[in-house]
Amino acid sequence: MTAPSPPGPEPLPGLNPTPAPTDSSRLPDPGESGPGQRSSAEQVERPHPLTPLVRSWVLVLALAFAFGREALNETLGGGDPFTSPFPPDDFTPRFFGTELSVQWLGLIVPAILLLIVGFGYLSWRATRFVIDDQVLRLESGIIFRKSQRIAFDKVQSIDLLQPFAARLLGLAELRLDLGGGSSERLRYLRRQRAVALRDYLLSRARGAQAEVRVTDETTSLLTDLSLADEVLIRVQPQTLLLAALTSHEFFSILLGGLVSAGVGWYFGFRWGLIFIAIPIISSLIGFVGSRVTGQFNYTLSRRPHGVRISRGLTSLTSQSLPTRRVQAVQLSQSLLWRRLGLYRIDIEVLGLGDLTTAEGSSGTSSILLPAGSIEQVRVALAALWPRADFERIELEPTPLRARWLHPFSQPFLRWGHDEQLVVAQRGWLVRRWMLVPHARIQSVKIVTSPLSRRLRLADLEFHTAGLRINAGASGLDAAVVQSRQDELLRLVHHQPTADLSEPLPAPPDPVLPGTPALGPSPAPASGSVDPYDPATWPGAVVQPVVESSGWDEGRTADFWSGRSEPPSEPGQPGAGS
Amino acid sequence: MSELFQPEAQWQRLPSRYRNARRIRTGLGWLILTIAATVPLWIFLDWRWALALAVVGLGITVWQVIRVNRWVSRFGYAEREADLLITRGLWMRDLTAIPYGRMLAVNVNSGPIDRLLGLAQLELVTASIQSDATIPGLGQSEAAALRDRLIAAGEAQALPL
Repeated sequence: MTAPSPPGPEPLPGLNPTPAPTDSSRLPDPGESGPGQRSSAEQVERPHPLTPLVRSWVLVLALAFAFGREALNETLGGGDPFTSPFPPDDFTPRFFGTELSVQWLGLIVPAILLLIVGFGYLSWRATRFVIDDQVLRLESGIIFRKSQRIAFDKVQSIDLLQPFAARLLGLAELRLDLGGGSSERLRYLRRQRAVALRDYLLSRARGAQAEVRVTDETTSLLTDLSLADEVLIRVQPQTLLLAALTSHEFFSILLGGLVSAGVGWYFGFRWGLIFIAIPIISSLIGFVGSRVTGQFNYTLSRRPHGVRISRGLTSLTSQSLPTRRVQAVQLSQSLLWRRLGLYRIDIEVLGLGDLTTAEGSSGTSSILLPAGSIEQVRVALAALWPRADFERIELEPTPLRARWLHPFSQPFLRWGHDEQLVVAQRGWLVRRWMLVPHARIQSVKIVTSPLSRRLRLADLEFHTAGLRINAGASGLDAAVVQSRQDELLRLVHHQPTADLSEPLPAPPDPVLPGTPALGPSPAPASGSVDPYDPATWPGAVVQPVVESSGWDEGRTADFWSGRSEPPSEPGQPGAGS
Repeated sequence: MSELFQPEAQWQRLPSRYRNARRIRTGLGWLILTIAATVPLWIFLDWRWALALAVVGLGITVWQVIRVNRWVSRFGYAEREADLLITRGLWMRDLTAIPYGRMLAVNVNSGPIDRLLGLAQLELVTASIQSDATIPGLGQSEAAALRDRLIAAGEAQALPL
């Protein structure tokens, strides 16, 4: 509206870096230069012209498919919709209950296509953005115009998303998380331009004055890694496959299928079993497939500005992680994962309202590590909270009488804390550890029920922002719970000045930062990278672990001094209890 | 067991006229629920079923109204040095501690029944939805004074989010 559009639509946003004035970029005060002068200086960009196609390609494809199939049917002399109400093919599109002939379809389908394309074109025309050294402004809307100017330092994190169609065309979407659950999307840009803008905005968000520049460093198409990245964790597809096949979700689907099949068999529906088997098998395949493709090439890397996750086979997601805003962490481990020594990490991030917990989807996700060994857990948590050490925390058991309330999980109900973190462990089949920093606790609550009062027990809840991780310790001795609450509150008030997510002043790790052995190789899927070799992880304090496909049973034992061992062996009652 | 929820502090109780407000609200709520459940039963099924349900519903209503007294006398809040304590509940009892520094806002609400009796409800907002810290009935001037005290304490001991 106020911003004059460039003379042409300028379809190559990737190749024109915004000219950043060298000296005036130090002083970003808009009052100095006149408004007219400024608006003429700012460079308005548009998304890539192929954006409408990428946004609606599924619809376009479906319509083209339906039309093509019907036309083919007609020419091959299939069922004629006029003579027989039920054509043999049984594929007659119905609109409001009336059957449509091919002739009508020939008009309607192109009309709909035209509508979609026209709408997409108008929407594309209306979308403009300005990102330079002074202004971050987005404009959109066909009928209701919306112009949004965003303060640079209010951008919490930026994700780079590449859905399948965009990926084929080399385009990418930028999603700016503005906190408070709202996010703005900028789609679609040329990939290189998107990467440059992302890096620029991230450095501006940290208060640095930087220039938008097109980086010549070619980020890998597979993983969005560049030379500046320091790879911390890379999860192999076979690990993902193994983890999906042994996860508790997989077995619950399988169990549901077996139960329904058993019921069917008992009542004599022998042939009906196939109708149970087909959906069960397809959902199992779908589950495993979505997990593997969604988390394919999962890479956790450290960049100059923060931690980043990139993942995905068909659609690539590159997510920058604001470590300061992580509220709580949950480690979980299903029954078979204990044997394999695998863990999963979920995080709770403040303000990310539309996170997806689903593994397969391509949006911003709350998964920090889809499946990994305990060494990888250490590395991931060290990247998140360098100043906290979760393994030093002594976990204390709950009294034995808590069995009455938690008959299966009582041996595993433990909790403890140190100066930085509260850790609560629970779960029988699926073991969970919830890690909450004192600096993120919002309130502490003691809860009792009539039964637990009779047993002289109480639960302690630690409330954090967000709902995904309900952290709390169950079945505590009521005699001490009050003093524990006071102790936690004291720790909430007396936190060290440096937040636990801030990097340590002098990295004591012997591994030089220049020696990440698994650097940003352009072909990351090559066999030279071994995610299980801890010597290749920079910053990891680990003892060398031999090549493991996950079947190393002894590795779980050292997690919190073996007290997290499963009770499945009847001979071992567990060291703690 | 009750000493678990009474740590040494200056415990404040709710004003006794709040009992009436809560009785009215509880009674009306359960009465409306009973009627809403009974009428369709009467229309579609049988008047005997409806009568049985109405008796049960009225019983629950009376019981809930009687319970209000005990609920209100169990509720307590205490302003400590660095946090606010709230204890409540008859069966499911809890004791919540909210550090002043974590409070984002303090709301004072007053519904029609509350206003009639000169009462107000004080609600503490933290970044966590689970905190759920509400003092349901206070005198209006008292609520405003407490709000100002809490805000002042929160500003004095602000904790980083």
